[in-house]
Amino acid sequence: MPSSTRTVFSLIIINKAGGLIYQREYQAGLRSLSTNDYLVLAGTFHGVHAITRSITPKLPLAQTSPAITSPGGNAPVGFTYPNPGVPASGLEHLETEKFRLTCFQTLTGTKFLLFTDPMTGNVDTIMNKIYELYADYVMKNPFYQLEMPVRCEAFDRHLGAWLRGRT
Amino acid sequence: MTVYSFYIFDRHAECIYKRRWLPRPASIVGKSSRNESPAQSGPAGTGQTMRATDDDSKLVFGTVFSLRNMVRKLGGDEDNFVSFNTSQYKLHYYETPTNIKFVMLTDTKSPSMRIALQQIYINLYVEYVVKNPLSPAEHPGGVGVNNELFEESLEQFVQTRVLS
Repeated sequence: MPSSTRTVFSLIIINKAGGLIYQREYQAGLRSLSTNDYLVLAGTFHGVHAITRSITPKLPLAQTSPAITSPGGNAPVGFTYPNPGVPASGLEHLETEKFRLTCFQTLTGTKFLLFTDPMTGNVDTIMNKIYELYADYVMKNPFYQLEMPVRCEAFDRHLGAWLRGRT
Repeated sequence: MTVYSFYIFDRHAECIYKRRWLPRPASIVGKSSRNESPAQSGPAGTGQTMRATDDDSKLVFGTVFSLRNMVRKLGGDEDNFVSFNTSQYKLHYYETPTNIKFVMLTDTKSPSMRIALQQIYINLYVEYVVKNPLSPAEHPGGVGVNNELFEESLEQFVQTRVLS
């Protein structure tokens, strides 16, 4: 029985259109769903992720500076985000009583969803390693078609071995 | 810690109470959300912020509803989601056994507000809204909680939380 501080339940990869392209379970703990349910889950999460970005609180700027105009015409004038230096992102961590979901979105829009135990530490390290393996064994695979389901044996093997080696 | 907004949804998915706070405590003047909303969209004054104030509660409900269902599907029926955070804010969620949902948006560094939301439900909502014989049991058509006592004590509760 692996210690709960290192438990990784499963990994889901969602392409930029909200389609499920990869799903693997590594340790029991969560209910396993049918393939169809995973597809629905991926699509739902894709939508929710976009909404969580759009409900970011907009803090109105002080009235002393009403003359600020946005040069791009893109952002509405007159408000700032809570953490002004950081671009507004969608959901990053979700905590429940039984698991923790970490979402990492790449610059190209692919989302990695990692389900871990709430006590698992260093999730960012795990996520980086997964992204590295994805880059090495999926993106560099000449037979892989972009945005299509990931069927790369080398990726499965290396990721599985690495996650098993951690526990 | 900063609290940005607070929502209550009843079991018919209706937003029965919403309250937004401006970032600086000094600028809190309005007592009810109704007084505050127009003042808040004042600086920007565009139609977009008006729409945003109006639709925010629906988007928040959609988010927590979808996430709750997702969590139940994966974690089992007794699992419940507690909070999520993005790079800009943290959303806390508490659902009563009667399916009333309490949602609070705070800054990312805030600790878990689960207990706080539970206290709001037990000490404020039940005391002042449920036990009030004049308040309606259901809130059809978005009538909402219109209760001075509740609003004032909520205000006070959040103020003490922010300062602590």
